[in-house]
Amino acid sequence: MHMSDALLSPVVGGAFWAISTGMIGWSARKIPVETDGSKTVLMGVMGAFVFAAQMINFTIPGTGSSGHIGGGLLLAVLLGPWRAFITLASVLVIQALFFADGGLLALGCNIFNMAFIPAFIAWPFIYRPIAGGEGSATRLATASIAASTLGLLAGAFSVVIQTTLSGISDLPFNVFVLFMLPIHAVIGIVEGVLTWGVLSFIASTEPGLLRTASETRAPKTGFVTAMLFVAALAIGGALSWFASSNPDGLEWSIAKVTGKEELASPAGTAHEFLSGLQNKLAILPDYDFRRTENLTAEEAAEPSPVHPGASLSGIAGSVMVLLIAGSVGLLLRNRRESTITATRS
Amino acid sequence: MQRSGIEAIHAEARPLPVGDGAAIMILAIYIMFVISVQKFDLAGVIAFGAFPLLLTTASGIALLPIMKRLVIASPFILFMAAGNLALDRSTAVMIAGFAITGGMISASVIVLKTVVTLAALLSLMAVMPFHRFGMALRSLRVPEVFVTQLLLVYRYSFLLSEEATAMQKARDLRSFGGHGKGPLVTAKLIASLLIRTTARAERIYMAMSARGFRTALDSRPAIAMKPGDLAAIAGAAALFGLIRYFF
Repeated sequence: MHMSDALLSPVVGGAFWAISTGMIGWSARKIPVETDGSKTVLMGVMGAFVFAAQMINFTIPGTGSSGHIGGGLLLAVLLGPWRAFITLASVLVIQALFFADGGLLALGCNIFNMAFIPAFIAWPFIYRPIAGGEGSATRLATASIAASTLGLLAGAFSVVIQTTLSGISDLPFNVFVLFMLPIHAVIGIVEGVLTWGVLSFIASTEPGLLRTASETRAPKTGFVTAMLFVAALAIGGALSWFASSNPDGLEWSIAKVTGKEELASPAGTAHEFLSGLQNKLAILPDYDFRRTENLTAEEAAEPSPVHPGASLSGIAGSVMVLLIAGSVGLLLRNRRESTITATRS
Repeated sequence: MQRSGIEAIHAEARPLPVGDGAAIMILAIYIMFVISVQKFDLAGVIAFGAFPLLLTTASGIALLPIMKRLVIASPFILFMAAGNLALDRSTAVMIAGFAITGGMISASVIVLKTVVTLAALLSLMAVMPFHRFGMALRSLRVPEVFVTQLLLVYRYSFLLSEEATAMQKARDLRSFGGHGKGPLVTAKLIASLLIRTTARAERIYMAMSARGFRTALDSRPAIAMKPGDLAAIAGAAALFGLIRYFF
């Protein structure tokens, strides 16, 4: 369910980055200052435990395929929301940096979808009320499966919203929702069963481990609602700012002064000379794909949305940039290696 | 698999021409510029491939582990790109009688954006050891709790991964016809690992306390960014802006 950089617009990615980094800062403040630091070590080792637990595969009954635990809800139950959020965020950072899961800009979205939702929505509002303090086996199973499933569904829905708002994918909202939600409902149920299995084993062998979270104060409903409201406001505000159909400040000023949104180029002046010079000096002047001569009426009626910049000679130009960058890199490497050899000798 | 993944990506640590904090900032700015490339702008995204190419060729990073990682990371991206390919069949251009559809171009842009951004990220991480990454985060004023957390997760993931692999192997050796590999048996295995993990955390904490650990792994003050680093960030942003403008 990792969101990817390539599917995000800078506005959506940036907004979720701001929300997630703000939440990391807030959670770091909420974790009480300790003098012994044992909980700090526990959090670190629990993050490593999630990596290790994800290496243990299980067979999904009736499918022949295998899966692994996600661990979001499990950490929230064991560590409480603030510590679980920090731990899950750190796991996601390492996944992005070393396993290319998502990407750097998508980290904001991934932390929101896979750390904020299980720690601040699934655990306090679904798991905790159902499981209660010293819950029975039935309550534990119901709470685990319900919180895992609804948490994963909320995360998957969030992926759909982030992708749709970014406008990179052509998948319509309803088709994407119908694709994502049923799959994640099944994954959520399996994750819930696994989480319940782990928790019931812990409850019978080391019940003390379950006390940390139950002693933690849950985040208030108002706080979570406020965070979601801030998220909606940040994305909505930023998007509407970028998507405004009104002229921008410069266009507005020019329109007020001249009655037109753009100024015409002055003829017979230095501007004309420079334009001519630019065309002569340009390595690939007026680059464009060859226009198709025999368009059908339907094709002519539907102009292509392809940007003129996506042109054949434009691509040739960018490949030239790649070649130059590669050559410069090799030169730098040879220079560095010869410097090291000279130093050693 | 996770452990070998980390080891495969980490190449030889190399000094960078800018401070580590500045390098991370430059990478973030680069990714923002790449992501801002328009949906159908193939030339723009190819041009931005110059940055990871420069990084990999100049530093001599082994490309194979990075390429393998990119292939493994791509199923969701390939699905989304295939969606564009199937849904946008409007002819964008004709080349030698072959119709290039809008979907082909936008799908290529999605895949290429993924390749160039992740290649840049993995290249940087290949030359920057994780403890230096932690120091860089401190210089960028990331909360100490989070930096310590990242360093601890990284350090102990190697240890616990070995334990998890051994447990899984032991289970698989005792499993015949797939028996004992279901979710409920696996849950008990994971719970055992969890109990061992918490016991290990206590031992680790006692050992670390004996060496003077309190709440942070590194008590040195964060290294502030130098004026040269700020100039490098501004220069890189200007360069990326020029690439974005011309392509």
